Amino acid sequence: MDGNGMPPAPITSIGEPLPMVDGPEKIAGKALYTSDFYDPSALAGAIKRSTVAHARIVSVDTSAAEALPGVHAVITGSETDEGHGVLPISRTELPIAHDKVRYKGEPVAAVAADSIEIAIKACDLIVVEYEELPAYYTAEDALAKDAVDLHDHREGNIERHVEFEIGDVDGGFADADLVHETEYHCAEVCQVQTEPHAAYVEYDGERDELTVRASTQVPYYVHLMLSKILKMPKSKIRVIKPYVGGGFGCRTEALNVEMITAMLARRAKGTVRTVVSREDTFITHRGRQEQTIKIQMGMTKDGRITAVDCKTIQRGGAHSGYGIVTILYAGSMLFAIYDLHNVRYDGKRVLTNTPPCGAFRGHGTVNTRHAFENAMDEMSKKLGLDPFAVRRVNLIPELGFTASDQWINSYGLPECLDIVEKASGWKERIGKLPPGRGLGLGCSHYISGASKPVNWTGEPHATVNLKLDFDGTVVILTGASEIGQGSNTILVQCVAEVLGIDPSRVKVVDADSRVTPKDNGSYSSRVTYMVGNAAIEAANNLKGMLVEAAARKLEVSPEDVECLGEVYRAGTQDEGMTFEEVVMAALEGTGTITAKGNFDTLPESWGGKKYRGAAIGGTMAFSYAAQVVEVTVDPDTADITVDKVWVAHDCGKALNPLTVEGQIQGSVWMGMGQALTEETSYHDGLLISGNMLDYRVPTFVDSPPIEAHIVESNDPHGPFGAKEAGEASLAGFLPALTSAVANAMGVRVHELPVTPDRLLQLLEDKERKMRSAAE
Amino acid sequence: MENMPEFTLHRPDTAAEAVKLKSSDSTSRYLAGGTDMIVNVRRGIETPETMIDLTAIADIAAIATDGDGLRIGAGAKLADLAVDETIIREYPAVAQAAASVAGPTHRAYGTIGGNLCLDTRCLFYNQSQWWRESNNFCLKHKGDVCHVAPGGKRCFAAFSGDVAPAMMVYEAKIDLEGPNGSRTIPLADLYRNDGMDHLTLEQDELLVSIRLPKAGPGAVSAYEKSRVRGSIDFPLAGCAVRLTEDDGKIADLRIALTAVNPYPQMVNGLADFIGKALDDDALDAIRELVQKQAKPMRTTTVRPWYRRRVVGALARKLTVRLAG
Repeated sequence: MDGNGMPPAPITSIGEPLPMVDGPEKIAGKALYTSDFYDPSALAGAIKRSTVAHARIVSVDTSAAEALPGVHAVITGSETDEGHGVLPISRTELPIAHDKVRYKGEPVAAVAADSIEIAIKACDLIVVEYEELPAYYTAEDALAKDAVDLHDHREGNIERHVEFEIGDVDGGFADADLVHETEYHCAEVCQVQTEPHAAYVEYDGERDELTVRASTQVPYYVHLMLSKILKMPKSKIRVIKPYVGGGFGCRTEALNVEMITAMLARRAKGTVRTVVSREDTFITHRGRQEQTIKIQMGMTKDGRITAVDCKTIQRGGAHSGYGIVTILYAGSMLFAIYDLHNVRYDGKRVLTNTPPCGAFRGHGTVNTRHAFENAMDEMSKKLGLDPFAVRRVNLIPELGFTASDQWINSYGLPECLDIVEKASGWKERIGKLPPGRGLGLGCSHYISGASKPVNWTGEPHATVNLKLDFDGTVVILTGASEIGQGSNTILVQCVAEVLGIDPSRVKVVDADSRVTPKDNGSYSSRVTYMVGNAAIEAANNLKGMLVEAAARKLEVSPEDVECLGEVYRAGTQDEGMTFEEVVMAALEGTGTITAKGNFDTLPESWGGKKYRGAAIGGTMAFSYAAQVVEVTVDPDTADITVDKVWVAHDCGKALNPLTVEGQIQGSVWMGMGQALTEETSYHDGLLISGNMLDYRVPTFVDSPPIEAHIVESNDPHGPFGAKEAGEASLAGFLPALTSAVANAMGVRVHELPVTPDRLLQLLEDKERKMRSAAE
Repeated sequence: MENMPEFTLHRPDTAAEAVKLKSSDSTSRYLAGGTDMIVNVRRGIETPETMIDLTAIADIAAIATDGDGLRIGAGAKLADLAVDETIIREYPAVAQAAASVAGPTHRAYGTIGGNLCLDTRCLFYNQSQWWRESNNFCLKHKGDVCHVAPGGKRCFAAFSGDVAPAMMVYEAKIDLEGPNGSRTIPLADLYRNDGMDHLTLEQDELLVSIRLPKAGPGAVSAYEKSRVRGSIDFPLAGCAVRLTEDDGKIADLRIALTAVNPYPQMVNGLADFIGKALDDDALDAIRELVQKQAKPMRTTTVRPWYRRRVVGALARKLTVRLAG
């Protein structure tokens, strides 16, 4: 009994809207990001970039730069001949271009100097002689018959051509009452995370060792790539991830910024700090590729999909990056949201002389989902069916395996649909809105981590260590990268819940290769699911040790110990031991306790073998989302106002409803940017929108009210039932928006983003057609 | 990037001293809010060795009524114009234009003088040194080709200030101080239709204040701009309208445009509408007239034909709104 006469009870952490554990440091400005590391002796790093899109490098003359006072190191492509990249089969990108440049902005040299001004001046003094080659800025041009290959090992500039047919597609079309073909085009977009890329690298000349701080989502991959390109043993490198100002996929692979800074530090035998500009961050890119998607869909008259044929082409940029993975996801993620049996896919990832694309939030799924959902909306109109009815008739009838062997263990999409239909007043309002106003629906899904890691090492997917010592603080040691998404908070909640202790007792030490267990990184929404499960196992192991210690002291068997979090006791009348007393008992004879937990995916979730690359798309759990978007369109200017968004996301279990809601809102908002305003544009391969004025991320003013609903389908394998919460709500916005505009104005925009000029063009075309029909 | 070239900063306390400092150093630039110019300095477009900070000049930021109307110091912040009661009441288009510039932090720093003297903008000009070098520079800066209209010898960089058209519909005048003394000219005469050299200021001449004449009785005005986002963006097209009605007929109508030409321009030919009723025919004719005189070029990522359409639509919409 405590002072209030209440029996003690374990403290609940899961399901509580706990503010983020690293919030106070961020709010107070005390959190140190990479660029906040500064030493007066640190040199400034700067990168010289190619002014041409495709050329052989004839010579690089660095003599004038090296002679400039204040310059400590000048490096070129000859610094390393080792390529980097995500997949072992496509490590063809060099941190600094050597024989060839393949896009405007590719690094051709770098300088470390006493100040950034001197470093930039030195870059200007470096003379590069190019022998220009034909350059291709569109997938179409790169695929042309007589096009020169960008890379020797990629004939016809095709990075990967994925083809599969599952089921009987032609038979499916024959069974359809309506076969409809439609085409969508999505512009290339960038993440525009708050923090530009930065690296701070200390080289220890005595020991030939490097300490690297970098703005990354994947310190482990950075570690691997640094070891490779520097040809240094991994044991000589320490990688620390400081606070990171957002990632959204643009830091999911080692970037040239950190690799160049490391090479400069070693060459200068000192510390080098590189903080690149916003333009450089745009050019480093790894955003979502430009893509054309052609979808042919067959439907019965009640809306059931009988077959899908999807052909898509992605403009991947000059290097592979995540390209092979992206084009595989675009196909595999056609499945696992609706009940599909007959699907044909033809996807080409094309190499072009533009900056390399990457793994933007919703990786691989977003553009294809946009086309797919629009096709459903177009067909529902043709068949005179309600878009909700069309979704419902295609819902997956029972849990288990899809036709593509993806494993579905929980499925909250039906409830998501019910919620947004009701919340938006769809039934009462659709078709009855005044002119210029419209509603649209979109559904989407995402994985909770890829079940097969890109680097297969035989290790578990995730490992978490817990340290417990005399002070009674439970320290989580994790390599998982907190990048603002809240992973540290979730791990604290998982551990505190298992132990039933006050979450303020649990602290996190994260992402330092010398201290924390290796982790693959923060991408594909893997951390909550995989690292969360590892944290639960570690906490259970620790709890076992504590219960045993308490049993020893209380002289009972462990089964008779009741763990109440802050109190352990042997019976209800027993006063028990405080947590601190149990800790001291546990330390007797052993000293500091370390408990470990692992997580591994189950083979059933590995995605099958129906086609080459089918493992991409395999996951332990799919999350689901549905959203309704309401818009108002100004008929004179075609300005679109998003009045409101109702979104429901099935995240299995909201471990922290506050951060889940934040993730849902962020996803919707990011989808809105891609749908309405954001696109990169190029002038002869030069990124013309490499700044935040010409690349238009929505502002506060443009942000609609977003009503986020959480659906909890309780995944059987997820940590406390949880699955992904940070990506699935993005993709649905795009088709919901185009469908809402179609509902409002009677025209459907097939090209993203739906800027007012694109929409006005269609409205004028429609008016012209109506006029000439009337005449 | 944290690059900031070194320069010497002067902070004179009179306009005369500022002009003197400016005349003594050919690389110098006047600096007020710096919200636009410092970006160009970092991009290597401007390379001043000396900057003359105008913010310490006495009364440079004052907004005061005098017998003839309102005198606004060139150093008055855009945020102050946006909330000034006299401006909101007497010159609503000016307050609306000031409130629409960029974002709140820019308006807290940016001055009316800077907004009126804003450099013209173009996709091929407002880029980094590396970018412009990769594109062989352009007519406006260091190069000999216009990428907007290749082959031409004119620069089409668009004037993109919001407040100029709103002040021009009130026939604003400006006070200038230069090495040869001071002068007062109509604001409209500050500009010429040349993206490379759009200001008629003489060497080292400084804009000191703006005078808005007393607004006529019954005159109402408004400013609106088209932009992709609701904040931050420069205008794709901007339009100020000042309307006086008499018994349902147009007694006076002035329209000025921005961002659709290298200079802010008054729309010509509106006198023909005086005495006419504001019916659909008249409104459509106003829209046509505005569209005809706007000549946007490919200086932004949004297509010129849209900007021309939308500036006409804005003129029509604002006129309807003002007619009540």
